Amino acid sequence: MSFDPIPYDLFDALKHFLTVFGSTMFIALIVCLLVGVLTRGVKGIGDVFLGILDFFNQITHLSCRRIWSLSTLTIRESLRQKILFVFIIFAVLFMFAGWFLAGAADRPDLQIQSYIDFVLKAISWLVIPIILLLSCWSLPEDIRLRTIHTVVTKPVYRIEIVIGRMLGFTLLGSAILLVMGTVGYIWINRQVPESVQANLVSKVPIYGEIKFTDREGAPSAGLNVGDIWMHRSYIEGATKARAIFTFKDIDESDAINDELNLQSSFEAFRTHKGNMEKGGILYQFIFVNKDKGLRVDTAPLINKEYLENRLKINRKIMHESEDGKEKVEVDIFDDLVDDNGNLTIEVQCLEAGQLLGMARSDLYIRTPDHAFISGYSKAIFGIWLPMVLVIMLGVTISCFVKGPVAILTTMTIVLVGFMSKEYMAEILSGKMQASGAIEAWYRLITHMNSQTPLPDGPVKFMIQIVDMGIINFLWLCQQIIPNFGIFSNMREYVIKGFDVSWDAALLPGIVTVAAYILPCLIVSFYSLKLRELEAK
Amino acid sequence: MNKLTSKHRKLAYVIAIIVLLIPVIWLGMPSTGEEGSGGELAKLRVEHELGESTLGDVDPSSASMNFVLLGLRGIATNLLWMDANEHQKKKEWAKLRSTVDSIILLQPHYMKVWDFQGWNLAYNVSAEWDAVEDRYFWVKEGIKFLNEGVTRNERFPELDWKVGNLHGQKVGRSDEWRLFRKFYKVDPDTERFENGPDPEINPERLDNYQVAKEKFLLANEKELKHKQHLQMRMLFRSAPWHAQFDYANAMQREGKFGKQRTDAWDQGFKDWTAIFGREEFISPKGPIVLEWSEPDIKNLAKRDNVSEEDKRYWTGRYQNMVNYLFWRTRAKSESESDTIDAHKSLYDGEQLFRKAEFDEAKAELEKGMALYAKVLNKYPSLIHEDLAIEEGLQAIILWRYIHELKGLKLPDSFPLKPLWIKEQGRVPILESELRQRFGIQ
Repeated sequence: MSFDPIPYDLFDALKHFLTVFGSTMFIALIVCLLVGVLTRGVKGIGDVFLGILDFFNQITHLSCRRIWSLSTLTIRESLRQKILFVFIIFAVLFMFAGWFLAGAADRPDLQIQSYIDFVLKAISWLVIPIILLLSCWSLPEDIRLRTIHTVVTKPVYRIEIVIGRMLGFTLLGSAILLVMGTVGYIWINRQVPESVQANLVSKVPIYGEIKFTDREGAPSAGLNVGDIWMHRSYIEGATKARAIFTFKDIDESDAINDELNLQSSFEAFRTHKGNMEKGGILYQFIFVNKDKGLRVDTAPLINKEYLENRLKINRKIMHESEDGKEKVEVDIFDDLVDDNGNLTIEVQCLEAGQLLGMARSDLYIRTPDHAFISGYSKAIFGIWLPMVLVIMLGVTISCFVKGPVAILTTMTIVLVGFMSKEYMAEILSGKMQASGAIEAWYRLITHMNSQTPLPDGPVKFMIQIVDMGIINFLWLCQQIIPNFGIFSNMREYVIKGFDVSWDAALLPGIVTVAAYILPCLIVSFYSLKLRELEAK
Repeated sequence: MNKLTSKHRKLAYVIAIIVLLIPVIWLGMPSTGEEGSGGELAKLRVEHELGESTLGDVDPSSASMNFVLLGLRGIATNLLWMDANEHQKKKEWAKLRSTVDSIILLQPHYMKVWDFQGWNLAYNVSAEWDAVEDRYFWVKEGIKFLNEGVTRNERFPELDWKVGNLHGQKVGRSDEWRLFRKFYKVDPDTERFENGPDPEINPERLDNYQVAKEKFLLANEKELKHKQHLQMRMLFRSAPWHAQFDYANAMQREGKFGKQRTDAWDQGFKDWTAIFGREEFISPKGPIVLEWSEPDIKNLAKRDNVSEEDKRYWTGRYQNMVNYLFWRTRAKSESESDTIDAHKSLYDGEQLFRKAEFDEAKAELEKGMALYAKVLNKYPSLIHEDLAIEEGLQAIILWRYIHELKGLKLPDSFPLKPLWIKEQGRVPILESELRQRFGIQ
């Protein structure tokens, strides 16, 4: 597994949102007051507060009936624009998908991943661009053709026009997604060979925390074997090196048929050939309960690389007593889970000269599986969320610019949000050396490497000042542009056969979308309120 | 603007269309596949082998993909290559395989893509897996991938050669060769392949080197029509006959010293001298043949109007390039009973050593060393070849080790002593290899 599901810190996110949103609103208020005073004198201050009141007035007097009429109007307009033609492309894609996917690895368990990946990608790549075009184009087109007048002349709030559009597109997009999702689900079920139909489930894992000890038994970060991808750390075989996993809040409800299911996917690194015919390196689990002073070993296991090593351990284990004279029965949940509800499992590599690599996500407790539809529908929900976000952004932006500009702006935001968030974070965190735009440009033309410090003087001063401005602007963009990468994570879960995690994937997705509702409504309301609708 | 009525104008358009259609049809009518069919352009395309179908099988999905992407094929290909590297880095093998397949849809006739990715799957990806069964699976994936490349590209003898090399060298010479060769005949997926080989790899249930020979022969056949750019022509064309030697040698490595092995060496000698040896290769002084007699040299010199010395000189030089005389002698000597007995004794000695039956191992090794010395005396040219030297040295190292273990004094004189003294430089590396192989601490 190549991803590490880290639980989302909701409180931290909320704090961050309030800081960014609050400070932006505060700056906007100051600017509005200044402009008001400068253009209208003291009366301007009152006008600004009246304007703010107007928003609260409209938002608290929303009429569901009016919003629904506007939504149905939006849907009808979109249908007239032949949006349903998207199904033709969808159908063609699925009819010929076999051509493109049949050549993938001739191994059904790996093939499943390709099928799911294809379905989810195809749906999101079809739905999101089309919805983006529709949401950006619709309002400016109404203004251009003056059909908007038939709406604004009626007793309808501006905010209702915006909400009506957003809701209409969301309903339409949801219906399209539902149809595509259903077809995709049937297609996957038909394509996956019967022999591996059992793999089509949504596993529900419990991950722990990981720590390492070195060959002397002292705490360490694990060994690095020179892999480019530094995801896993390694422990040395036949030494005191261990990987220690601690799982929190473990009880009987996590067992399947009174068995503890441990699933691992460790990576082997051999320093010598060893016995190649065994099929893998030997390792074992040791259950540790420090409160009771218990250490219980499992039998040696063979590590099958990149495959699912599933170990079902009966909750009752026979274990040699301390003096080694008799066998004692211990219960995993009663005796090995410590007083705080933690289950500690040490992993030991048993072969001298061989190493076993693992990361936090490489060992988990598998609790009763959910049906495949559970994970799959959440992944479709993971497409629905960015779709809604795109609709909100598209409609908002189209409230203050014309159609083509709105499309370009929204598309840029979406692309940056999908692709460049990590890159931006790297620049802003200072990880990237000499990352200032002007500094980079200066170094490029003077052939100066990034290690050499810039020569002192006015040039350095100027470069730093300008770069600081650019970096601050980038910081602002980083805060404003949504992280679309969060949504594609959900796809990864289903591809790897897991149910989509609530706190590591669904919650951040929902919270991200929710965070944009109020800012989008505020921006679109004032844009539409201040916009001269007569202008084409 | 003009005086023609609408009806006349339409009529004029129709006539113009018909008139223009005549050259269009004459030039651009597509070929039906039969020779001489189609318009002038289609005929020229066939004549100069410019059509995609003349390059090999056309994959409809590949053609449609290139069509849909219009001019963005380069960008899409670059993105896919970056993706493939990322998947490989993150060890997402299923995604790597499907990305590679997508790259191929975009670049079906670019030989290097097939070459690189085939090798990548069979060597790099295979080595990333721990279980030998899994490694073999990825070797097969590499072979299957290159097979696909061969069917799509009929004009690259290099690809056939690479397929042959995977069947031969990768399966037969890897660290895991013993298991690979076993899996080649009985696939580890016994349920799916019913205790037989994977039919896409080995449909006729042959030895891996026999299949390699077939593939190399196909490469040689294509090479007559389409030039290869892999290596010197003579080396390229010697591959099938080397596969035959490897086939015979592999049986020896596995301790099979029966008639099948002797026949294989015999066949190797015939192929080497009667087919490869009689092939003409171009030297700066005209064509030469590697298996020559005095009249051959005289006739060739006369025909090309050069001196006999020149022909002899270039023949000798070319023979050295492919180690012609060594392989000729080796193949010939391997059919003789002394050589077979020598190999067998050395092999048995090694096996006894492995079982820790040291007295018996010592006796077998001494017998084998004496016989081997006899063979080397009879065919002194063998003493210059790595494989022959290493076989002798390995026997001496084990034999000395037994003396050490048993606390025996090494005799002053022993068979193969001249070889031992002459090749001292190789001993440390061989010793460490043997220590690993036999688990000697």
